[in-house]
Amino acid sequence: MIRKNTLAILLLASLAFLKPALAAPVEQPETVCIQCHGTLPDRLGAPVKLWRSSIHADNGISCNGCHGGDPKDAANAMTPQRGFLGAPKEKDIPGFCGRCHPGVYKDYLSSAHGRALGAGGPTCVTCHGNHQVVKASLALINEKSCTRCHSFDRARAIRDAMQQTEGYIDDISRRIADFQVSGVDTEKMGKSLFSVRNRFHTLFHDVDVARVKGESAAINKELGKLDAALKEIEQSHQKRRVAGGIAVGFMVLLALLFHLMKKSYD
Amino acid sequence: MLKRLYRWLDLRIGVGEIVEKELTGYLLPRNINEWYSLGSVLLVIFALQVITGMLLMIYYVPDADKAFKSVTFIMNEVPYGWLIRLCHAVGSNMMVAVLILHMLSTLLMGSYKAPRELNWVTGFTLLALVQGISLTGYLAPWSQLSFWATTVATNSASAIPVVGPYLVEFLRGGKLVGPPTLGRFFALHAAVLPVVIAAVIGAHLFLLKRTGVSAPPFGREGTATPFEAQQYHYQGHPGGIPFFPNYALQDLASISIYFAVFLAVVFFWPGMPFTPDAFVPADPFKTPAHIKPEWYFLANYQTLKIFPSELLGLSVQAAAMTFLALLPFIDRSPERHPLKRPVFLTLVIAGILLWIALSVWGHLS
Repeated sequence: MIRKNTLAILLLASLAFLKPALAAPVEQPETVCIQCHGTLPDRLGAPVKLWRSSIHADNGISCNGCHGGDPKDAANAMTPQRGFLGAPKEKDIPGFCGRCHPGVYKDYLSSAHGRALGAGGPTCVTCHGNHQVVKASLALINEKSCTRCHSFDRARAIRDAMQQTEGYIDDISRRIADFQVSGVDTEKMGKSLFSVRNRFHTLFHDVDVARVKGESAAINKELGKLDAALKEIEQSHQKRRVAGGIAVGFMVLLALLFHLMKKSYD
Repeated sequence: MLKRLYRWLDLRIGVGEIVEKELTGYLLPRNINEWYSLGSVLLVIFALQVITGMLLMIYYVPDADKAFKSVTFIMNEVPYGWLIRLCHAVGSNMMVAVLILHMLSTLLMGSYKAPRELNWVTGFTLLALVQGISLTGYLAPWSQLSFWATTVATNSASAIPVVGPYLVEFLRGGKLVGPPTLGRFFALHAAVLPVVIAAVIGAHLFLLKRTGVSAPPFGREGTATPFEAQQYHYQGHPGGIPFFPNYALQDLASISIYFAVFLAVVFFWPGMPFTPDAFVPADPFKTPAHIKPEWYFLANYQTLKIFPSELLGLSVQAAAMTFLALLPFIDRSPERHPLKRPVFLTLVIAGILLWIALSVWGHLS
């Protein structure tokens, strides 16, 4: 009887041990657009290959995010009834992208580039690419790209004014991300940086050199406040490490002391 | 002053008699080694988990809408809240690690053998309970990691035939992980499991007192200790070393070493118990790409992935764990020296290597 009960307890214990085992990770399924066009050659398959290395792919924005349609029904994916829009005409491209990027759309329309829309001026894809959409960064303002339409002088002056600010933003963003994954409450700082970054991004479509310089200086001042707050946290973490080092050292000494005391009794 | 207090207490409650019986007169084998102090280290860890857990409860709110914010508040606003939370999170990992070491030393020195079968069984039960309390505590911060790890962990129970789906619903308090799950897991974590663990620790210590400490099989001629007693017999160690001060100092040395390692992790590797998802609030509509369990569940996790069906994976693990739990009843040979038990030693080393390999595979997969 005792053996039977013991066995039951042991079996239950082993089941309890097993309970927490986890299943395989959940993968996001690909849309039917990718599944079908991904296997097609040439013109029909090329956009998928380009899209895979785009900022849209990195953020889970698939074909239907821009072109509409039904990403789950292969048979009707490209029917107007399911909201399929197809590819836009050149003059409609900014509006097409502007559905998700309304702020940038507004900035673009008020810039010299936007004002030249339909008259040989560039659209979003001229600089950002269409399927291999690249992240908005200062690297997009380069001699090779800009000299396709005009001289690089003014563009260079704008890029140089913004270069330092972008580096500053990247540095603060990285530091906030590092703190965020160590349990520091970075919500306020994250929101503040988000706002500053958006303000900075509005300059990307501006071609007024004086305004870009003035705004960059004001943004740098805002970033300086975030930098000071981050430095304060870094200093407090440094103090923690010093205190931790002393505590660890003390424990090692204590262990040694107890060991020697024990030896004296042997 | 202390002597006068001791005398005062001795005259009233006979402290001297207790000290003589339980400390200075409590004799241990002369060849006792450092591994025997892991039990005391575990008692200290459990006590620290209880204390830090109680302190966390002052500010923690077990409500799905407030849990994550309350943990963020503890980490950022409460004075030394970060230290208390890190001690609790790191401590839970250390408790499992030290418990595994304690069981391995028991295994290799053959201390689980008769008449100490029940000591092994209670120890094995404690391992399961400690893993259970770690899992239930995992949900408490209500982060993406907590939410999804609990979702897949509770989902594993659905592989059990017939009762599986009902069991999943019972564990979750609904069809999906949600606020009722947090309530259930928190009650288990903070009220039920600590009491059960304390009770099983009590039983474990009671059994130790009744059987007596086993002598290590090292450094002596006869290492086989057949159990042929016809009546209860306490295994004392005449001529051995007293627990106090001799072995109490070894316990203190081991506890100090433990604290040195523990504090080094808390201060210099505070991210050890966490992944980035641990600092994102739970979002039932956003599944993280890869959910990995804690290091001590990685082998279980990988085993489930190897087998074509989850039920088969669970059954193999159940068989392995049942075998391990019943080991003292299966391995009845009186020999306790590991080098004189080549088959056993090979199996133990192979088992450890398999566990490590599965864990690494699970981590990298």
